[in-house]
Amino acid sequence: MSTRLIGISSLVFLAIYIIQESIVAQFRLPGGGFSILVIFALSWAIMSEREVAAVIGFSAGLLMDFSQNASGPFGQWTLIMLIAGYCISYLGYGDDNFFGGAIGVVLSIVVINFFTELLFLISGPLLGVSIGSFSEIFYTLVGTSLWTLLLTPIVLPIFVRLHKEIFQSGSIA
Amino acid sequence: MSRGGQSRTRLLLVILIVTSLFLVTLDLRGVKLLDSLKQGMQTVVSPFQRSANFALTPVKNFFTDISLLGRSGSQIDKLEEENAALKLELIERQDADAALEQLKGILDLAGKAGYKIVNAKVISQGSYQSFARTVTISSGTNAGIAQNMTVLSEFGIAGIVKEVYPNSALIQLASDPAFRIGVRIVGSQQIGFLSGRGGRSAVLQLLDNSTDINEGDVLMSRGSIANRPFVPGAPVGYITTVDNSAGTIAQSASVRYYTDFSKLSVLAVVVGSPNPNPGDALVPQKPRPIPTPTVTVFVTPTPTPSN
Repeated sequence: MSTRLIGISSLVFLAIYIIQESIVAQFRLPGGGFSILVIFALSWAIMSEREVAAVIGFSAGLLMDFSQNASGPFGQWTLIMLIAGYCISYLGYGDDNFFGGAIGVVLSIVVINFFTELLFLISGPLLGVSIGSFSEIFYTLVGTSLWTLLLTPIVLPIFVRLHKEIFQSGSIA
Repeated sequence: MSRGGQSRTRLLLVILIVTSLFLVTLDLRGVKLLDSLKQGMQTVVSPFQRSANFALTPVKNFFTDISLLGRSGSQIDKLEEENAALKLELIERQDADAALEQLKGILDLAGKAGYKIVNAKVISQGSYQSFARTVTISSGTNAGIAQNMTVLSEFGIAGIVKEVYPNSALIQLASDPAFRIGVRIVGSQQIGFLSGRGGRSAVLQLLDNSTDINEGDVLMSRGSIANRPFVPGAPVGYITTVDNSAGTIAQSASVRYYTDFSKLSVLAVVVGSPNPNPGDALVPQKPRPIPTPTVTVFVTPTPTPSN
């Protein structure tokens, strides 16, 4: 990956992060809302090779850790998103991949998003993070999954287009 | 993928995992290596948050108006304000009555502290992705706000200042699972700890098991040294259910906060209090004799008319 591609990708990541922190955070959505950064990172990871997907997950997690709202220790989201990025790319690799089309991709993003939340919950108490009552956890898990399911089909074409524009034009150049 | 490619992928993965674990370890060991970077990031994001808040307010208002169809928003606001004022007045009255009853009329509650506050607008709400409950307000160190200051809503305790930046501050809401506050029960004056649970309900744990607590009992903040993080005497919530499980060391109960965390738009940060020592917030006063009213009735006899 060239320096130019890394630079452009970093700017895109930063822009998505700012959108998440400044625009999405304005709305008090029922069920805890969604993370556009997670959807974005998983969408890009799904279209990338495993090593690139791991770097994408790592970068997204790092930004999530930079967020002032991150409750866990710095690095927790980095580790979780790194695993999530690698896993989603691993599942999508090869001819007999896990995703059978657009619906499969959307569902995979929703499922991996759910498991990242679950991994955060499991690793949280080990790292001293308070996670709240069962009903609140259930409400948040279901809420974020439903929001992700609702939003991913809308934003996925944009993210795919963005990925193509950057990486295809980059490879030609 | 070739063997060389696989090795490269594994190596990269190992490096990234080790880096993540290194970051976690650094943070858990209290090395504040990344704090300045985090602060820098917030300083970058803060103007965007303000702009987005300004630009999206009409959109948010539109959705709010839709949700209030058939009702007058201003009338509701006015009634809520009146209701909040009455509630506060009632709680203060109950608290004062209980203290007077308990101390046989010689103690008085010095709860009306007249806090010095800084009002701030809520400019963003933290993502639930990390299961934390936070909001960001539009004032920071430039307005005199510092870490660990009490944050009040119109109904009482709303949270504490967790992080502070020049023009913004991160508020840890009382609903956050990591939030803890020392409280006392109005009336019995029993003390305990209240823990957030993610929503508007919280868990109260008393320090002993010898007293009775009842549904509807009101909780006030106990206060901290130098009023940080908590000022004393602020309304917190009321008991909704009491856990009467046998064999427990300390009695516990479910509590509902007065503050509705889903409707926060303006918050007040307590930046100063006239009472420097909150531990002495309840100052005993000399009993004052209550003058007994004397009623004197003058009766002028009227002559009975003779027949």
